[in-house]
Amino acid sequence: MPHQCIECGRTFPDGSKEMLSGCPDCGGNKFQFKPSGASDPSNSASSADPEPTAGSEPAPDFDSSSEARSETAPAGSAGPTDSTDPAGSTDPAGSTDPADQSDPDPADRPSERTVSSDTMESDTTDPVEGDAERIDDEGAEDTAQASARSDVVTPDELDRAARETGSTGVDSESVEPPASQPGVDELRDELNEQFESIRIVSPGQYELNLMELYDRQEYIISLQEDGRYVIEMPDAWGVTDE
Amino acid sequence: MGLLTNLRDSISRVTDGLFAADEPKRIGIYGPPNAGKTTLANRIARDWTGDAVGPESHIPHETRRARRKENVEIERNGRKVTIDIVDTPGVTTKVDYKEFLDHDMDKEDAVRRSREATEGVAEAMHWLREDVDGVIYVLDSTTDPFTQVNTMLIGIIESQDLPALILANKTDLPESDVQQIANAFPQHETIPLSALEGENMDEVYTKIAEYFG
Repeated sequence: MPHQCIECGRTFPDGSKEMLSGCPDCGGNKFQFKPSGASDPSNSASSADPEPTAGSEPAPDFDSSSEARSETAPAGSAGPTDSTDPAGSTDPAGSTDPADQSDPDPADRPSERTVSSDTMESDTTDPVEGDAERIDDEGAEDTAQASARSDVVTPDELDRAARETGSTGVDSESVEPPASQPGVDELRDELNEQFESIRIVSPGQYELNLMELYDRQEYIISLQEDGRYVIEMPDAWGVTDE
Repeated sequence: MGLLTNLRDSISRVTDGLFAADEPKRIGIYGPPNAGKTTLANRIARDWTGDAVGPESHIPHETRRARRKENVEIERNGRKVTIDIVDTPGVTTKVDYKEFLDHDMDKEDAVRRSREATEGVAEAMHWLREDVDGVIYVLDSTTDPFTQVNTMLIGIIESQDLPALILANKTDLPESDVQQIANAFPQHETIPLSALEGENMDEVYTKIAEYFG
């Protein structure tokens, strides 16, 4: 019985759409939230509803979120004046949301958040929930987000990432790295494959593919001895010469 | 982004068309290393502006960055032609620091020169793609013109429909063979000259005015 019409006492399940157009019985548009667990006294301060969920409602006091509201909150204080209460949007009490705390299954949280995105703005103490709130701002969770949350990096990916970091760690200022250094040789081979316009045979010895150089839109303006290039991006990315 | 780029391109095409007649043509001096490109560029610049373009040297890859001399006014038969001269680094498919070691250079300097020369080739090719309206192709008439570089560059220039003037340089040397160059590129007119001695420069200027005017 999370929501109750304060006019006629009719109760609604959490997030019921019926409430969005007012109470079907009496037409009332003020509802109070009644959490399943015991109410936290600190939540009496969070009775404000920072943003109406249904824009057409003049005084949308019903709360479609899991935010706790004390049953003792007077109906008057939950009226239109409260909807502009700045404390509501910054109220840290949201972090003590009893509904969240009593939620035994964390997997249920995302769906809950999509409903309660407005009120979750106040929740800044939990970094995970803070992230989720930003995602919700942009709409429903997409597959990439879901995958990022649920998937685990494979040992292969970890290994590759570590190697990439190691390679780019080579000091670009080094004039002439020792030829025997395996990392640099690998990097040089790799770059030679990618940039076949210039092949670095060894420091100071180059083979050039003129057609490739001519065909390339970007312009290689500087070579590093470790096999790196500095290139100028095509004009489309910046201002033209003329 | 795409829309804006297209719009900008359209505007620049229109403005290019409006000012094309007033802007000097940009003429790239191309060729393999040590053909005498900078000597020619200096000769042209000195003859018509009094300044030089860059240092000349018998060591290959002396020019490792493209150098430009703007607004060179050449007068021929009562006609004035204004061009921008771009002296480009010698184009080659291989750069090896060891070839510089013979010229009293230590290894470190030779390696650096080699790297800069390679960057220079990349720059020259980039200019050819983007920034020249015509090409003066300079060849050393004492060497065999049938090389991969010459064939490829002349091919690119032809595919771009760029006006190209082929110069057979170093006619002051006894082993000079202008005919060999004319045979290599029969589809083009070959003008003999010695940029160093200033031989046959009159004909060169006449042809420049004719080709790029």
